[in-house]
Amino acid sequence: MTQFRAGREVMVVGVGLHPFGRFPEQSLSDLARDAVVEALRDSGIPWSAIPIAYFGHVYYHGMSVGETTLAQLGLTGVPIINVENACSSGSTAFWQAYWGITSGVFDAALAFGAEKVPGGPVTVTAENSPARYIGGDHMMAGYALRMTRYMSETGAPASALAQVTVKARQNAALNPYAHRKETYSVEDVLNSRLIADPLTLYQCCPTSEGAAAAVLCAADALDSFGVDRSRAIRIAAASLTSGSYNGRGSDHSAFSPYRTEPAGLQAYEMAGIGPEDVDIVQVHDAATIGELQQVEALHLLPYGEAWQATMEGRTSLTGDIPVNTDGGLLAMGHPFGASGIRMVHETVTQLRGEAGARQVDNPRVGVAQCSGAGDVTTVHILTK
Amino acid sequence: MPVSVDDRCLRLTGEGGDAGVLLGMRCSGCGVVVFGPATFCQSCTAPDLAEVELGAAGVLYSYTIVRVPPAGWPGAVPYVLGEVELPEGPHVLAEVIDCEHGDLTIGMPVSLALQAVAMDGGAETERVVYKWRPA
Ligand SMILES: [Zn+2]
Repeated sequence: MTQFRAGREVMVVGVGLHPFGRFPEQSLSDLARDAVVEALRDSGIPWSAIPIAYFGHVYYHGMSVGETTLAQLGLTGVPIINVENACSSGSTAFWQAYWGITSGVFDAALAFGAEKVPGGPVTVTAENSPARYIGGDHMMAGYALRMTRYMSETGAPASALAQVTVKARQNAALNPYAHRKETYSVEDVLNSRLIADPLTLYQCCPTSEGAAAAVLCAADALDSFGVDRSRAIRIAAASLTSGSYNGRGSDHSAFSPYRTEPAGLQAYEMAGIGPEDVDIVQVHDAATIGELQQVEALHLLPYGEAWQATMEGRTSLTGDIPVNTDGGLLAMGHPFGASGIRMVHETVTQLRGEAGARQVDNPRVGVAQCSGAGDVTTVHILTK
Repeated sequence: MPVSVDDRCLRLTGEGGDAGVLLGMRCSGCGVVVFGPATFCQSCTAPDLAEVELGAAGVLYSYTIVRVPPAGWPGAVPYVLGEVELPEGPHVLAEVIDCEHGDLTIGMPVSLALQAVAMDGGAETERVVYKWRPA
């Protein structure tokens, strides 16, 4: 069991994004560099003063991409760590940056992530795996199996699931960084082509390219770095769990609490707050069903009720528990290494009150939850 | 001579490649049974596991009709992917064959079916794969 030995308070003092989408002319390093430069500028801390950096990515773009990216900003000799933890690679890099500072080893850190995900269904196993004969190594088919169970157990209609995409697109239409900005009706979503029944294309996140970065700083070192305290956002909790045995192996159940709940409960305990205190939420909505499952496993809504809350508008920007306020994976797209830090970017932007047209009314507590193969879950809680 | 897709998951019991049994491992410490190989118990981490033959019948826990297959999928499209619950505990994910899409229901009984599958049409890549069919 995780022992929390958080020491110093740690703040996010800068965030940056490269727009998500398709950028055939730009290398992975170019995307990552742009996000890093924006985050550094936002923090006011120059690259030459950053003592450590963590880089999240999954696909192979040559060795030590973190190093080759940051080399563009100058070779400073600091440790640069490349992190691979599937779809949660970026949030894992952020988690490591947090623990590197709170433990007292470093006064500040850069966490960044980038990805150029190829098109088509995403598989997890190696190409020579026997799994390729079985037909089960298919990320969206896995979500479809969960969706079949969820709809059967809760009575949720297909339109409730489609509404998750409708909301995501509405939020993304207000976000200049999003991959998909066109809005859709429930009918548009349900009539898009089937990928794996009952999951239609518009209920699956696009595979995308993009980058995100965050600069973290110890609260007691803000002045020495010359950081603007008024824009610093506190990290109240940083938890990460990998898979624990669920009693049956392959598991595509309606609720799967074993997957997200432990990291959520650890984060609430660490932050000393409960789900009732949360104002805004970013969760891993690789498919519509994912958003419902994650919100329930984080105890933000009772198990089996997130679909109703979605239909009632409670998870929209003006609802009582806004979810995926920037469009989420469904509309931002999902560059694996970047997504977890993109969630931090949105949370910080909202808590600062700088989200423009998609600004939620005065949020004070934000949760960012990111999942990855291997049943990895990261949960970060940020507070104003 | 037919070859199992993974002889730690499926042991062929005849020469024809149409008979076989699914394999699992049972933990002598906590009794948990997992499908396929395990060196240490997935549940309690104990090192003492023994191979068990799993039954050939289960019930459909969930299903989907895959319209866009993963890269390299050697079968027909669309295909039905089913997660099947075995009485011993583990769930086994595999294709469901010989089934009208409209007949699929959670809880329907299914039984083990074996089919030879070749990748890219090459005979040397042919493997006997475990699947499910309505019982
Ligand atoms: Zn055991």
